[in-house]
Amino acid sequence: MIRVKNPQDFWAGILFVVFGGAALWIGRVYAFGTLSKMGPGYLPAVLSWALLGIGGVLIARALAMSGPPIERSKLKPQLFILAAIVVFALAIERLGLAPAVVLVAVTAAFASRDLRFVEAIALAVALAALCVVLFVHLLGQPFTVWPF
Amino acid sequence: MDLFANLATGFGAAVTPVNLGFCLFGCLIGTLIGVLPGIGPIATIAMLLPVTFGLSPLGALIMLAGIYYGAQYGGSTTAILVNLPGESSSVVTCIDGYQMARRGRAGAALAIAAVGSFFAGCVGTVLIAAFAPVLAAFAVQFRSPEYFALMLFGLIAAVVLAHGSVVKAIGMVILGLMVGLVGTESQSATARFTFGVPELYDGVDFVPLAMGLFGLAEIMSNLDRSDDSRAVSSTVASLWPNREEIRRAVPAVLRGTAIGSLLGILPGGGAVLASFAAYTLEKKVSRFPRSSAKARSKGWRARNRPTTPARRPRSFRCSRSASRPIR
Repeated sequence: MIRVKNPQDFWAGILFVVFGGAALWIGRVYAFGTLSKMGPGYLPAVLSWALLGIGGVLIARALAMSGPPIERSKLKPQLFILAAIVVFALAIERLGLAPAVVLVAVTAAFASRDLRFVEAIALAVALAALCVVLFVHLLGQPFTVWPF
Repeated sequence: MDLFANLATGFGAAVTPVNLGFCLFGCLIGTLIGVLPGIGPIATIAMLLPVTFGLSPLGALIMLAGIYYGAQYGGSTTAILVNLPGESSSVVTCIDGYQMARRGRAGAALAIAAVGSFFAGCVGTVLIAAFAPVLAAFAVQFRSPEYFALMLFGLIAAVVLAHGSVVKAIGMVILGLMVGLVGTESQSATARFTFGVPELYDGVDFVPLAMGLFGLAEIMSNLDRSDDSRAVSSTVASLWPNREEIRRAVPAVLRGTAIGSLLGILPGGGAVLASFAAYTLEKKVSRFPRSSAKARSKGWRARNRPTTPARRPRSFRCSRSASRPIR
């Protein structure tokens, strides 16, 4: 049974291998060309292989040498922060700037350890007002502010 | 002396109360807008351009220069306080500036960044004024091989700069290069790694990438830790660096200015390369152990300033095209 002695390096290596492999797979349709006349697929393929190699080295090293463990991290903050970005991206074009900012602030507030709902709402409204005044009125950026 | 005659003409035109007022106003709103995370000098100029439409050409130019300086400095504020680089050249400011802030030296870090930027900006301006024709002739001779060498230098610097594992640093550099591949290929117009999303045809812009990698990651890890979580809350007490910090900052500023002035002449990537190069140098030269926050503060000012003089002269002309190849 092979034992992973250095989890941090091991998973970093896995990540590199996954990225490299995925890029190689997606990039397989781009024309490779030759060394003197490189096609659009040349650099991606070379970089993908390099990444695969680096990932392999990391994994091999992780099996041979021991290192620090991966710290446990909480899932909740990460999920809600990412969700906040997705919510904003979906809302900004459909609902407009003001509702989008309120939504992003409220969603992100759920990531906090001690959620105080009134505080979150107040912050969201204040932020929305600030954004509208700053970006739309003062800087003249072309945002839709309201859904109607 | 051509130089003095020209400078006298320039001062004669610029130093009127009205024009100085424009400069002050531009610098002020430039800083205010540049402080917003993710909005760098170029975005700031683009947004504030309409403000200058009503002015005379001279006033508009002066105000834009003020805006540019203000925005450039504003970027270092977010870099130091919340670890969010507004644009690529303030990435290096994050590394140690933020560490200083976490140890309660945010005020000193901000002050050093400001003074350093100001000093290097002045030196850079004088250099440009004095040697513009020579420098321009030199810069024009830069062609693909030289740019390739510069890029390679920058990438190697990124590896040298990294804390921790060298293998992982090289891996991340390659991964970064691959992110740069996303978009339309320049020779054959093949769309690479776009997944059919039209927004990706232009490639991945630097600012969203930096926001995600630095900003969001920082926020998440802050929420993760329970003890020293808060980024920087109340500690911008004193803006004055202490004597020790000044003593270490001065040589760093001088070296950073020299590097920034040299590398800043090159169109495209000058500011980023200069800031990284200055940091690499400081890391090597520094006599102080890297663990101490004060010692760190030294290196990072160096990078902040080169960016300022380096960028300014070119910024209006070719910021757009020039910023492309570095991505």
